[in-house]
Amino acid sequence: MLLPKFEYHEPSTLQDALNLLSELGGNAKVLAGGTDLLVRMKQKIDRPSHVISIARVPGLDAIIPRNGHGVTIGGAVSAGAISRHELLNDRFLPLALAAGRLGAPMIRNRATIGGNLVNARPAADLPPPCMVLNAEFKLKSASGEREVAAVEFFRGPGEADIEPNELLVSINVETPMPWTGGSYIKLGARKTLEISMVNVAALITLQSPDGVITDARIALGAVAPTPVRAYAAEELLIGEKPTDELFERAGMTGVGLCSPITDHRGTMEYRCMMIEVLVKRSLKQAVERAKSWKP
Amino acid sequence: MKTIIQMTVNGELVESAVEPNRTLLQFLREDLDLTGTKHGCGLGDCGACTVILDGKPVNSCLVLAVQAHGREVLTIEGLAENGNLHPIQQAFVDKGAIQCGFCTPGMILSAKALLDENPKPSELEIRTAISGNLCRCTGYQKIVEAVQEAATVIDGTEVSS
Ligand SMILES: Cc1cc2nc3c(=O)[nH]c(=O)nc-3n(C[C@H](O)[C@H](O)[C@H](O)COP(=O)(O)OP(=O)(O)OC[C@H]3O[C@@H](n4cnc5c(N)ncnc54)[C@H](O)[C@@H]3O)c2cc1C
Ligand code: FES
Ligand code: FES
Repeated sequence: MLLPKFEYHEPSTLQDALNLLSELGGNAKVLAGGTDLLVRMKQKIDRPSHVISIARVPGLDAIIPRNGHGVTIGGAVSAGAISRHELLNDRFLPLALAAGRLGAPMIRNRATIGGNLVNARPAADLPPPCMVLNAEFKLKSASGEREVAAVEFFRGPGEADIEPNELLVSINVETPMPWTGGSYIKLGARKTLEISMVNVAALITLQSPDGVITDARIALGAVAPTPVRAYAAEELLIGEKPTDELFERAGMTGVGLCSPITDHRGTMEYRCMMIEVLVKRSLKQAVERAKSWKP
Repeated sequence: MKTIIQMTVNGELVESAVEPNRTLLQFLREDLDLTGTKHGCGLGDCGACTVILDGKPVNSCLVLAVQAHGREVLTIEGLAENGNLHPIQQAFVDKGAIQCGFCTPGMILSAKALLDENPKPSELEIRTAISGNLCRCTGYQKIVEAVQEAATVIDGTEVSS
């Protein structure tokens, strides 16, 4: 499979990258890991006349802890780097787990978080964890910058709130409260190299190890045109003691929020059943981890 | 427009002028005649094109040659030393982990990247490491055994030397 011709740019500063984007705008595509863009160009779905690689822009591939308050993840950090990062595994577990399930090892070494989010595929692995962690995405252009909340970013399949002249430079996440635990479950037909049939991220905060749930966040992927937060299921959990029966009800509520499709990966009925089971299971895991939270 | 690129391939510095739409896979196979790296799907699915780029296994069909400028590439041709097979290659031969051989270069490089980082992997870690490398012939069991064998051999040489 051959790639069509294009002009290649490799800016070495952020300012140069942003200037190129504002000059070339709609005729250009940003190249990060290329695991989506190069496939689409080979399949002649995308035909940009200019390709702007951001691999040599300094800083975009850094994970920077903000002394205890949170973390800033550069837009070009690879899924592999996220899955191996100690702090992310410790405090931002749903994101680290999801990154470790994206594609296969070779894909993870190239695929970036920015590419995964901007792609805005309904079944992508990284949007649900970003949504439960209340992540903020920083977008920059030559003329300014803005922040968009993860829950507002996704507009439809392949559509996100980003302009052709903007670069997703970083993902900012606040550190969750004490007694918080998280989980991520991806269901596919095989263990690797599989686009999810359903994926669930959950984050639960307890008042104390054996106290009530004070905060609950659940996000579902592959069940609707965009990844969604299951707000109704979250409300049901807040203020309650965690029990299996409660998780069961949350799972049932979760199904009501979804509009899954039937395709070669699974039928609508199967997906609905799985949403219920996976929400329940992810809440259970999150609560177990919240109980064993360590300062 | 062609761009001049330089990279280290199997320890040797190479320089060449390439079109930006040339993949690293095409560059290795067609410009450098290193045909050990295989072209399967071209879409990141099969792993036949696996090479090690700056220490990490990648699908060379999804990397542009220009993106490898200034970097270090290891292909299957770079594994044997002085005419002796690398212990992973030898283990694949000894354990019967090769049938048609099309997946083998990619499998071996994924295994090498694993053993370089984790000299004593569990079976699950081995299966995860090669999960992006498809094999239509062997059923994977003998490949896993070969990687286990190689790990023991490499570990043994390091202790005794
Ligand atoms: C074999 C295979 C398996 C896969 N498996 C999975 C999987 O299991 N789960 C999953 O979620 N995805 C999967 N993918 C899809 C893909 O790997 C991911 O979406 C990946 O994260 C994309 O990142 P990238 O850096 O490679 O993006 P690229 O291909 O470089 O870019 C993707 C798009 O985003 C734009 N873009 C990239 N970075 C930025 C930025 N910083 N700012 C603005 N725009 C940007 C590009 O212009 C392009 O339109 C798979 C792909 C392949 C080939
Ligand atoms: S040829 Fe590159 S993954 Fe199949
Ligand atoms: S030996 Fe034939 S594909 Fe693996």
